Amino acid sequence: MNGEYIHTLLNKYWGCQTSPSEEKELQDFFLGENVPNDLKCYIPLFRYRDEQQSLSLSPGFEEKIRKQIKKSPQYITIRIFAPLLRIAASVALIVALGISLFLISKQDASKPYLTETYNDSEAAMHQAAFAFEKLSRAFEISESVYIKTFQEIDKLNLDWPGMDSINIEKPAPRKKIDL
Amino acid sequence: MKKSLLIIFVLLISSSLFADDFVTQFIDTYVEEKRPVNNVNIGKTMLKKMAEDVEDAELKTLLKELNHIRMVITENRKDAKYYFKKANELVDKEFSDYEKMLSVDERKSKVEVLFKEIDKDNQNIILIALDNDRKLTIISVSGKVDFNSISKLSDLLNEEIFSSGTNNEHNRER
Repeated sequence: MNGEYIHTLLNKYWGCQTSPSEEKELQDFFLGENVPNDLKCYIPLFRYRDEQQSLSLSPGFEEKIRKQIKKSPQYITIRIFAPLLRIAASVALIVALGISLFLISKQDASKPYLTETYNDSEAAMHQAAFAFEKLSRAFEISESVYIKTFQEIDKLNLDWPGMDSINIEKPAPRKKIDL
Repeated sequence: MKKSLLIIFVLLISSSLFADDFVTQFIDTYVEEKRPVNNVNIGKTMLKKMAEDVEDAELKTLLKELNHIRMVITENRKDAKYYFKKANELVDKEFSDYEKMLSVDERKSKVEVLFKEIDKDNQNIILIALDNDRKLTIISVSGKVDFNSISKLSDLLNEEIFSSGTNNEHNRER
């Protein structure tokens, strides 16, 4: 083969511009016997290439693969049914949402006499008046109980100055609520 | 699609779980179908509307400062006693951070008022009362509220109702 042609092909090869047939030509040349001395350094490269290309599957490889596939049927199932699983997950989510909505609505419905007075200002006014009267009355009751308790204590005619003179450690003052 | 469904689901669940108002929690946790109660909820919107409707300027301000008024009432003796116990259970379990403002424990009536100051303009008051006639009233008030405003609100609202009733009668007579 023309040395100049080989050099041209080699330059194309280094530039990754060779076609498969040109690469085959180069490979055949370097595996042959008439390789000039200045190009002998490339022989190992093309020999390695040839060795790699000639790699073939070991005997029984296909059988081994088939056995492996048979051993892992779940993986295959998941792959095949992945879209179905997605649909099933979505359906399960929707069903769960539906059930929870049903339970929440049932929970509210089971609460009897839920009355909203948003549309009737006058009724709301009466209810608000009732609430504050009740609270106000509670304070009045506590006040009257407080007074009554002191009156009862007063009736006991306790010796207050005498009691005051007893040295008792005073308890820590209670937290005062500003009301 | 799946994400949005999940978000809706989580929101629904969380909204039902994190209701922090006493009356709402009480109803959700303890009220049974076989033991009916009367429940009244006056929210911010209604309170604003009420404030617009009243004439008294002070009452207007006081109403505007409230967030909600919620009530549970039962007149059945057995249910009242049962729910009174349950309300106290709820206080111990979930509202132990409230200060017991007053507590009256007489032979026939029991009253408890609990208080929590969240900030300067936001306080919560809970009243649990079992009356002489064994009627249970639970009231939860939230907003800018104190002892003076409670008695003022009580007086002014009654005056307002009385005056509007008188006006209505006048109108009818005409």
